[in-house]
Amino acid sequence: MAGGDCSEALDRLFEYIDDELPQEEVQKIGAHLKSCPPCEAEHQIKEKIKALTSRTGGDKAPEDLRARVLASLRAVREDA
Amino acid sequence: MSETALDFEVEALSYMDQLYGAALRMTRNGADAEDLVQETYAKAFAAQDKFTPGTNLKAWLYRIQTNAFINTYRKKQREPKRSDAEQVEDWQLAAAAEHTSSGLASAEQEALDGLGDDEVKQALNDLPEDFRMAVYLSDVEGFAYKEIAEIMDTPVGTVMSRLHRGRKLLREKLSEYAAERGFRDKRAASKTVKEV
Repeated sequence: MAGGDCSEALDRLFEYIDDELPQEEVQKIGAHLKSCPPCEAEHQIKEKIKALTSRTGGDKAPEDLRARVLASLRAVREDA
Repeated sequence: MSETALDFEVEALSYMDQLYGAALRMTRNGADAEDLVQETYAKAFAAQDKFTPGTNLKAWLYRIQTNAFINTYRKKQREPKRSDAEQVEDWQLAAAAEHTSSGLASAEQEALDGLGDDEVKQALNDLPEDFRMAVYLSDVEGFAYKEIAEIMDTPVGTVMSRLHRGRKLLREKLSEYAAERGFRDKRAASKTVKEV
């Protein structure tokens, strides 16, 4: 495996997993990952951490905050 | 009131949970997060006519909230300032990208599998603010680099650099947690064996 391919793929892995690359780059890196187990392992780890992070969302605004925001909205409407 | 204004309000209010989630990551404290969200909506409703219909309202609200946070809350908090995070040496981007051996990589994957959401939340909370928000906006909220750049008022290159560094730090912290957990599990296991 040419070292150049590895460093190019690894340099762009975040953009690859974040869906920020043009289609031809995606194909090129995808093909490299298929043929290079160490790069693919690195890809898997980065994907896994992104997935773990995305699971930490889903916070709900407390009800009293909702009430406060609606009250301030009514105040703006009355001023208008 | 006009239909446009009503649409604006309905759509703006639909992002409250997400804005609150982001506010929690910014302030790291529930009471401040609530105040920040309320301030964000007050500013957004007051500046409603400055919003261009058809453009990204969610990103616009996040931008208002980010500015409100910088102006009101960051001053109160004992956080390293933006410039401190920016001055961190650019070792991550300068260093040639490398991968580890397959054995180490699979051990790391396995370790990550054992981590709970609370540990990941804690690790994210421990990141410097700009890194934390870049990672949060990308991985939790799913914003594109261009949108994060707009929200954080920085070039896309800076967003990419914050993501790189933030995720690298996050990975190091997660490995630490995984190692601590492995150690605890091993100790617990050896204790159980002795007790039997």
